[in-house]
Amino acid sequence: MVDVRRVRGGDGLAEINDELDQILDSVVENTRLATESFFASYDKNPDPKVLAAWLAPRAWREIDYVFLLNEQIRRYGLEFERKHITLLAKQSFQEAEHYEIVGKAIESLGGKVPTSVPPEAKPWSDFLWDCLERHPLAAIAAWNCSETSASGSFEPTFKAGERHDFAEVVRVYKQIETDEKFHVGLGRQVLAAYAKTDHDRDEILRAMRGMRDIAWKTFTPESVAQARSA
Amino acid sequence: MTTFDSRSLGQASELFDLTIAELRPAAEGVVSLELRAPDGADLPGWQPGAHIDVLLPNGIVRQYSLCGDISESDRWRIGVLREPASRGGSSYIHEQLRQGDTLTVAGPRNNFRLVEADRYLFIAGGIGITPMLPMIRAAAAQGKPWTLLYGGRSRRSMAFLDEITGLSGGETHIVPQDELGLLDLQKFLGQHRADTLVYCCGPGPLIDAVEAKCQVWRSGALHLERFAPSDKAARKEKGSFEVELARSGQRLVIPPYRSILDVLQENGCKVTNSCCAGICGTCLVKVLSGVPDHNDDVLSIEDQEAGEVMLVCVSRSKSDLLVLDL
Repeated sequence: MVDVRRVRGGDGLAEINDELDQILDSVVENTRLATESFFASYDKNPDPKVLAAWLAPRAWREIDYVFLLNEQIRRYGLEFERKHITLLAKQSFQEAEHYEIVGKAIESLGGKVPTSVPPEAKPWSDFLWDCLERHPLAAIAAWNCSETSASGSFEPTFKAGERHDFAEVVRVYKQIETDEKFHVGLGRQVLAAYAKTDHDRDEILRAMRGMRDIAWKTFTPESVAQARSA
Repeated sequence: MTTFDSRSLGQASELFDLTIAELRPAAEGVVSLELRAPDGADLPGWQPGAHIDVLLPNGIVRQYSLCGDISESDRWRIGVLREPASRGGSSYIHEQLRQGDTLTVAGPRNNFRLVEADRYLFIAGGIGITPMLPMIRAAAAQGKPWTLLYGGRSRRSMAFLDEITGLSGGETHIVPQDELGLLDLQKFLGQHRADTLVYCCGPGPLIDAVEAKCQVWRSGALHLERFAPSDKAARKEKGSFEVELARSGQRLVIPPYRSILDVLQENGCKVTNSCCAGICGTCLVKVLSGVPDHNDDVLSIEDQEAGEVMLVCVSRSKSDLLVLDL
C-alpha cells in the first residue's frame, strides 16, 4: 500500500527508475545475506562485544550522515525547494538521534562508540564524500542506496534479538526502521524532483552502483573479525 | 436578535403585505397561519422546502417553511411553534397577531430543495414537520415511495397529524416521545440504501444524531435543515473538522492550523510517524467513514481515491467528520 520508492514529487528519474530499483533490490538482498551470515556466526559465539563491534560502523554511518547532510544543505540546499531543506535538516536530526541511541546500545554491550571513521567503514565514507564533490545529487543517491541497504538488515537483526535477548538493540532498530522509510522516500523524491539532464541521471546511477558494491560489506562476519583483530 | 433591515433579508426578493386569512391552533404550542394577498391574487410559485421571511411589526425577522399545498397558488401556509425561549418572534405571533392582520413577508426562497430520487426517507422532529409536508405531497404525487419518521414530545404537541394520516403512497411512523421514546434511527438509517435520499428537519440533537448515522451513507444522500445554526457549526472554524476514534468513541476537533497527528498525540493516541510530511507512510490509518482530503506524496492514486486509508500527518477531511480505526 505504501511504497516509498514510488513517492511523488518529480519525474526526473522516470527513465532510470527500473534500473534504480534493481540496484536497490540487489543491495537490500546482499545486506540481508551478510546480516544473516553475521548472526549465524554470532549464534556460535554470542559475545556482546562482537555485537558491539558489528554495530560500530552502523553508528558511524549515522553520524557521517549528519555531517554529509549538513554539508549537502550548505552547498546545494538553496537550489532546492524550502521544504526539502527542512526535510533534509529533519533527516539530519534523526540521524543524530540514531547515532545517540545506537551509541548507547553499543555501550550497553561493552563496546566503544566510534568518534572517527572506523577502518572497515572508510571505503563507504570515502565514496559518499567523493559523491558530494562530484555532483549536487550524487551524495543523495549514494546515501539513498546505503539507507535502503540497511532495510535488509532489520529482519535478521530482530530474529537474532529474540534468540539472544538483546531487546535494547531491537528497540533501537525498530525506531531506525520507521525513520528510514522517511529517509528513503525523501531521497527518492529529491532525486526525482531535481534530476533534469542525462548527466544528472548518469551521476545518480554511478553513485548508486558504487554504493551497491560497498554498503553491505560491513554487515559481514568477516568485516567484524577484521575490525576486532586490527 | 434578527431585526428588520435590508441586510438581514440577504438576497430576499420582493416584499409582500399579506393578510392573515386564517390563524388556528395546529397543536399544543403551534399555530398555523394562512396568508393571502389582500386582493386574493395569486402569490409567487414555490417548491417543497421553500421558506419565507416574516417581517414582524416589532422589527424582528423570522424564517418559516411553507407547509401548504403548492397547487393552492393564492395562499401560503406556515406553522409557528411558540419557542419557550422566544426572543420576540414566535411569542409575538402567538400573542399579538390575529386573523385579518397584515404581515410583511419576503421570499419565497429555497435552500432545502427536494432532489429527484427513487425513494425518500423524511425525518421530522417537532415543528420540523413543516417543510416535510409539501415534500411528502410531492413524492406522493410522483408515485415515489416514501417513509416519514415524525417524532415529538407528545402526540398533543405534534402538528398536522390529521393531514399526515391522509397522505398516500407511503409509510408513516408517528413517535410521540412520552409514549414510544425516541425515533429508532438505527432501524431506518443503520444501513445505507443507494436508492434513497434522506431529508431531515428538527432540533439540533436530532439533526446531529441523523448526521452521525448517515456517515455510512453515500455523500449527498442526506439533506438537512436546522432550526438554527448548530452549536458545532457556530464553534467550528473554517477549515476545521472532527475526528472520531472508533475504538473509544472519543471525538476530537482538528483546527485548520493543526494536523490530525498532532491532535491525536496531544490526546494520548499514539500513532507511529516519522517525516510528518506525507512521505514515509508510517502514520497510515484506516478510515471507517468520512472523506479524507489527501495531501501526501506516497499513497497510490488508487488508494487515495478509495479513501479507505490516510496519512494523518498531512491529510485532512472533506467531510465534517472522519471516523478512524484508532
